[in-house]
Amino acid sequence: MGLGLLASRTLLRSGKIQPGNFTSLLRRCIVSTTELQNAEAAQAQAQPDTDLPKRSPVGGARVHFPNPEDAIEVFVDGYPVKIPKGMTVLQACEIAGVDIPRFCYHSRLSIAGNCRMCLVEVEKSPKPVASCAMPALPGMKIKTDTPIAKKAREGVMEFLLMNHPLDCPICDQGGECDLQDQSMAFGSDRGRFTETKRSVVDKNLGPLVKTVMTRCIQCTRCVRFATEIAGVQDLGMLGRGSGEEIGTYVERLMTSELSGNVIDICPVGALTSKPFAFKARNWELKGTETIDVTDAVGSNIRIDSRGPEVMRIVPRLNEDINEEWISDKTRFFYDGLKRQRLNDPMIRGPDGRFKAVSWRDALAVVAEVIHQVKPDEIVGVAGKLSDAESMMALKDFLNKMGSNNVWCEGNGPNPNADIRSGYIMNTSISGLEKADVFLLVGTQPRVEAAMVNARIRKTVRATQAKVGYVGPATDLNYDHEHLGTGPQILKEIAEGRHPFSSTLTNAKNPCIIVGAGVFERNDKDAIFSVVETIAGRAKVVRPDWNGLNVLLLNAAQAAALDLGLIPDSGKKIESSKFIYLMGADDVNLEKVPEDAFVVYQGHHGDRGVYRANVIFPASAFSEKEGTYVNTEGCVQTTVPAVPTVGDARDDWKIIRALSEVAGACLPYDSLSAIRSRMRTVAPNLLNIDERQPATFSYSLKPESHQETGTVPFGTVVENFYMTDSITRASKVMAQCRTLLLKI
Amino acid sequence: MGSVVRSALKAIKEKGLTSFVRELREEGYLSALLDGNLMQTKIHNIGATLVGVDKFGNKYYEKLGDTQYGRHRWVEYASKNRYNASQVPPEWHGWLHFVTDHTGDELLLLKPKRYGLEHKENLSGEGDQYIYHSKGHSLNPGQRDWTRYQPWQPTKA
Repeated sequence: MGLGLLASRTLLRSGKIQPGNFTSLLRRCIVSTTELQNAEAAQAQAQPDTDLPKRSPVGGARVHFPNPEDAIEVFVDGYPVKIPKGMTVLQACEIAGVDIPRFCYHSRLSIAGNCRMCLVEVEKSPKPVASCAMPALPGMKIKTDTPIAKKAREGVMEFLLMNHPLDCPICDQGGECDLQDQSMAFGSDRGRFTETKRSVVDKNLGPLVKTVMTRCIQCTRCVRFATEIAGVQDLGMLGRGSGEEIGTYVERLMTSELSGNVIDICPVGALTSKPFAFKARNWELKGTETIDVTDAVGSNIRIDSRGPEVMRIVPRLNEDINEEWISDKTRFFYDGLKRQRLNDPMIRGPDGRFKAVSWRDALAVVAEVIHQVKPDEIVGVAGKLSDAESMMALKDFLNKMGSNNVWCEGNGPNPNADIRSGYIMNTSISGLEKADVFLLVGTQPRVEAAMVNARIRKTVRATQAKVGYVGPATDLNYDHEHLGTGPQILKEIAEGRHPFSSTLTNAKNPCIIVGAGVFERNDKDAIFSVVETIAGRAKVVRPDWNGLNVLLLNAAQAAALDLGLIPDSGKKIESSKFIYLMGADDVNLEKVPEDAFVVYQGHHGDRGVYRANVIFPASAFSEKEGTYVNTEGCVQTTVPAVPTVGDARDDWKIIRALSEVAGACLPYDSLSAIRSRMRTVAPNLLNIDERQPATFSYSLKPESHQETGTVPFGTVVENFYMTDSITRASKVMAQCRTLLLKI
Repeated sequence: MGSVVRSALKAIKEKGLTSFVRELREEGYLSALLDGNLMQTKIHNIGATLVGVDKFGNKYYEKLGDTQYGRHRWVEYASKNRYNASQVPPEWHGWLHFVTDHTGDELLLLKPKRYGLEHKENLSGEGDQYIYHSKGHSLNPGQRDWTRYQPWQPTKA
């Protein structure tokens, strides 16, 4: 630091000269750390409070003080930390930047305090205390690095390892095992154990979770997860002392749709993934942070791949969407990515057999046929796994060919794309936690969007929120009032004749969730207007709270509606001569006329290919970069994790190539160019990882004069495990279907 | 020398000329005329004891007494034209190289029946088909299929 600068600083601090234009300019020239320019900061810099090096909280956690006057101060290893009242010692240590070893403690589960690994020394306490279960008190002096704390951990570790088998070399958890890591860090370098080890019979938990119960250290995280988050009473603790074991009481499978998460929370290799068993080691895997497309939640996942193969899928933390859980379908459908793949362009010959051809020939055939049909006989259907880029390209291409019959399957014959609040979850998934009364209309979130269901369950568990449900009787994993099955009940609620109506009106934050299955009903508009009447009565939509939600089913739906993929009329498929199926497998192909020419573009040989005349192989979501909008309107992108198979290409590139061959070239040839085209249609699709709330509420919608029907709401997703072409190709999902769904 | 000629004449008389010549060729006496190694082995063999013959037909000789120590065990390969040291099976290797005094026949009894492999000579330089190729090599007839997906089969349509 130059002398002149020092002098100017002193002057500045003493306030003798006002920093004018000239001095500030000078300062900027000399010093780059502008934050030090301000006098108070400079003073703080000059006289640090302590001489201890600075520590930052574990994992960059931030402290949220709900009540500023409730803050207390504790000392961790001599560092003063301000924490809100009611936090445990372990949490205080985390904020102080000390990571306490733990097995049983998990921040999203209740506290058990039975592993004793988190012992720390507290001044004036006669014994080491289990920090996860001990509330921090004002002025507590916590010591995590003393000989007593170290000895306590070492002792606990020795006891844990006593009955833990030495099978790390054949254990699937090896390399990502908490016990392995912590015994290296905190354990002793020798053992005194010479007796024989305990052994426990393995339990059969079904086709997804493999158990090696001898490895279990009885942390009970899985039991607490099953009862608290998954909401099934399947797992429990049996026996006492050394005979203690985790089990299912009677021989039965774990039937929860979230059961795969016990694999992640198990700190040892007692619960591991059955499809992944002995397939790979975690250090061989390349992780790709992407999102899931099997439902409309858009759970954040990490695809672990080795070479060209997806080896497993694990969740990624996103507090707004999936917290740190994913559903079993998301976790285990990946073997479907390796089966039934379309890898060559194919043309159906006159004998009805498919023949693999080159891209040039296949594109030429389609380009020729598309010019032979009338523009209004061209129909395009985007599948439920389509990304926004390819849907944009499909719509632009068909518009250029003169047709406007493009839609996305699942959005119904007559979708409403004008008012965004009419098709997204306005409350947002994390916002559901603030609701105190739920009304589920024609939706079974447990099978349609398991993560949303987990969120509702969390709310119900935490605040005893009431749940009313209209639809076929089902098990939602939490207490709910089954109001009825048909739209008549809704009318009763709207007119205030139903007891639930007063529950809704008395609620502080009422929340109505309408299932996307309603989109397919003929009286869709009427049902929505009844729901809007209910919403108006119960003040569901207010400036500070929007509780009127639609729960979508498929990953492509929200983006399709954002991009305006709506058909001219719902009956177009019957009169069409040229149908472009972009991964659409669930359109009713029986209605397609005999002489229609069907192009199927997709990644799996599923229902759609059997009617196709030409097949274009496309890449799956794990192989391409694509934009998806989830049910709450959050825009996320997939990232390619593995290379494409065979001759497959990205969806939008195929359409771009076809447009050139057909002589109606689309004006973009890169991902950024197609995204700037998307910006002109739906600017929100460019704000990646951001939830874009709807601007206008339903009140702008024109009045509907339709009458509600009497047809009861149906089950939209019959089979949770097999909903799209990838999951239908998966063997594990088929196993789950036969073993778990019949119970 | 005279005794050699005498015994040769006696053998011709007993077996006839054709079979004598065939035996000469099979025993390698003809190739020994051009192959000094083989000729020396044949000369060495005179007066030596035949300790054993392995299943490939290699003959193991030993001559104690006036032979220089370290040169008192040797092998006459079954093949008279293309022979090399890798044709000696492991059970005889130890005896031949003075690792053990147990003969190959004795050691063969110790060979594990269930997982003991058959001895194979080293065929390097004998042509591509004899060379080891890794599982991904295109010259390996059992080349591994590295495709990690299963394509859709259109014939089922």
